[in-house]
Amino acid sequence: MLENITDITSAQLWRETQKMRNDGYRFVTATCINLPDGSFDVLYHFDRDIGLKQYRLHVTAGEEIPSISHIFFCALLVENEIKELFGVNITDIVIDYGGHLLLSDGAPSTPMAGGQITIERR
Amino acid sequence: MTKTVIPFGPQHPVLPEPLHLKLVLQDEKVLEAVPAIGYVHRGLEKLTETKDITQNIFVVERICGICSFMHALAYCQGIETLMGVQVPDRARYLRVVWGELHRTHSHLLWLGLLADSFGFESLFMQAWRCREQVIDLMEQTAGSRIIISTNTVGGTRRDIGPEMLKHIVEVVGNVEKELKAISKVFLNDYTVQHRLRDVGTLTKEDAYQLGAVGPVARASGINQDMRTLGYAAYNELDFAPVVETAGDSYARTVVRLRELSQAIDLLRQVEAKIPAGEISVPVKGNPEGEIVSRVEQPRGEVLYYLKADGTKFLSRVRVRTPTFANIPALLHMLPGHLLSDVPVLILSIDPCISCTER
Repeated sequence: MLENITDITSAQLWRETQKMRNDGYRFVTATCINLPDGSFDVLYHFDRDIGLKQYRLHVTAGEEIPSISHIFFCALLVENEIKELFGVNITDIVIDYGGHLLLSDGAPSTPMAGGQITIERR
Repeated sequence: MTKTVIPFGPQHPVLPEPLHLKLVLQDEKVLEAVPAIGYVHRGLEKLTETKDITQNIFVVERICGICSFMHALAYCQGIETLMGVQVPDRARYLRVVWGELHRTHSHLLWLGLLADSFGFESLFMQAWRCREQVIDLMEQTAGSRIIISTNTVGGTRRDIGPEMLKHIVEVVGNVEKELKAISKVFLNDYTVQHRLRDVGTLTKEDAYQLGAVGPVARASGINQDMRTLGYAAYNELDFAPVVETAGDSYARTVVRLRELSQAIDLLRQVEAKIPAGEISVPVKGNPEGEIVSRVEQPRGEVLYYLKADGTKFLSRVRVRTPTFANIPALLHMLPGHLLSDVPVLILSIDPCISCTER
């Protein structure tokens, strides 16, 4: 089962991510899971010396969560992907593709979420 | 000075798969690069929601046409951990055989593409001629050249007999001899060195913070290889991560060349140590819970997150591939280099866009 996982709130996200960076962890990826009630769990995976540590952030539909790409630049791609495919409103990503990272213009929006959510299309 | 924006890709003679980079140039020097992807996005993570746990093996294998076996391996290992399945020892060794054959063919493919990127066509063809022998082995052992479908939950679907194992060792021995001749050119040729040395230098600190994985990270001095987790039979084999420190494209080439020799050595070890026994165990029931499974693909760490709810369908399959992790490092490397270095730089991370976009 998933080990070493801690639940956090969006208010704690920046602090815990900065702590991970200061403690010598690297950012591996983030995983978004859509839940039956329309909310999401976003897991942030960090690694140090082949040991994983995870944070789980529960996000309600429409809730804004801050980007961690200002701390870990490499998070920009996965945050854009989560925003585009799930409709999770991640704000202030260092390079924001505005919903055009993976999906073409004619594709249905937020295909991985339960229903269609449009945050923005630029 | 005026700046120019040049589109590199999505179709380019050097790129094996579509990748679009908007290069901001001043004269011939790259100031900034912004990637645009999505040309081969197939929605495979969404597809896995509609297939059962056995069908998903065949879906994840098709995420990539180069490191196909490792995708299935990471997936099967995740399901096996969730269900508490003990894979037979022989199956664990067989997984190493096919895994290292995949690593060998992938690195030889990359060597050829790298040679092609700086116009050395005969070296490209020599590398791929070498690679054909490895692909033939996969066809002889599994019936297919790349997407070999030998993994199953609980072990492997095919066995490799002692005569075939001996044949594999003979063939890769031959590949090793041919590789020695090709390596001399990659490592010592004046033109090749001129195109690779000090191109795309990534410091250890930057590689770590940017989340680089695989040979890109190891070429910058980061001692990180998921095989040290001990999955399959790696905990019973003698190997250590291949690390270089220069961090440039030349170091990334050296790491992959050394890993080729290491893969051949691992195959010899497996032939000597593989135990007799079953190749799979029956698996009953359905998985429940969530797990992260990681495997070292030729390009680096692949992460599979699996969430199961006790039915034969998984609630979520998340795949983070190594090229997805290495693209930020590529964006960091490009500024300051000439436009003519861009193809070599991009190739030096061994990009697999099918993996990146799924």
